[in-house]
Amino acid sequence: MTENQDEKLARMLRSRRIEPASHDLAARIILQAQSLPQLENTSLWHSVRQLFAEFHLPKPGYVLAGALILGMLLGFSTAPENGQLSDLGSTTAQSYIAGDEGFL
Amino acid sequence: MPVAWPDKEDNELLALVRDGSHPAFGALVERHEDRYYRLAFRYLQNRAAAEDIVQDAFLKLWENPGRWEPDKNSKFTTWFYRVVVNLCLDWQKRKRPLALNEEMPLIDDRESADQMIVRREEQRMLEQAIAALPERQRTAINLCFSEDLSNQDAADAMGVHLKALQSLIMRAKTTLKERMKNML
Repeated sequence: MTENQDEKLARMLRSRRIEPASHDLAARIILQAQSLPQLENTSLWHSVRQLFAEFHLPKPGYVLAGALILGMLLGFSTAPENGQLSDLGSTTAQSYIAGDEGFL
Repeated sequence: MPVAWPDKEDNELLALVRDGSHPAFGALVERHEDRYYRLAFRYLQNRAAAEDIVQDAFLKLWENPGRWEPDKNSKFTTWFYRVVVNLCLDWQKRKRPLALNEEMPLIDDRESADQMIVRREEQRMLEQAIAALPERQRTAINLCFSEDLSNQDAADAMGVHLKALQSLIMRAKTTLKERMKNML
């Protein structure tokens, strides 16, 4: 009895009445699309995703790249303070080389 | 109406649509509008409303074809079922429920007058019972008993696991059987 109920319900669900669509529904949609511009997806997130879609790096690669970028940013941000130190370093190297030349 | 570009897969047509191809969009619409119309009609029981939903769904696709991402989403047709279902649910939330048409056309013209009356009453009760189901159960019934959608595709379209879908269907059928016990 229960099985019959199930079968009948399934049959009714499969044979639900569907009023046919207008014959020109597809034509109307196509026609309306012709007057609609497509949206340009220019969001920052979309651009970033597109950029990363071009490059397929393994996960450690992203970590390394991230560390390098962070290092460069930190390096550049502290560059003016180290300017004198760099000059000092080059002077020291020059005097060392000069010392070597003198010794030789 | 002959369907254009029968040799092209949906994802190939979508790639052309992304480049602004109207013929490719037309081919997609002609290929699929009927199945989505049928789904929308199952929800709304109103031809004009169902046509509006289908039109809206396809025009949104035209405006922003990048919404479907072939790598991320499942099949285009499954994803688009979800789009149409969401539009139907939004529509139902915004609008007053439509009264079911008392003059439903009948499926089989060869039926006797008595059979036609019984059938009409069955259909009316079934639609009322489905309309009264909770949203997810109604969606499961509408998707699973549509023409060519497997349970797995229906589960994908709803964004649930297969077992969850089966549970929704079972609960929906139990409720429907209870509400229609005089007819079954």
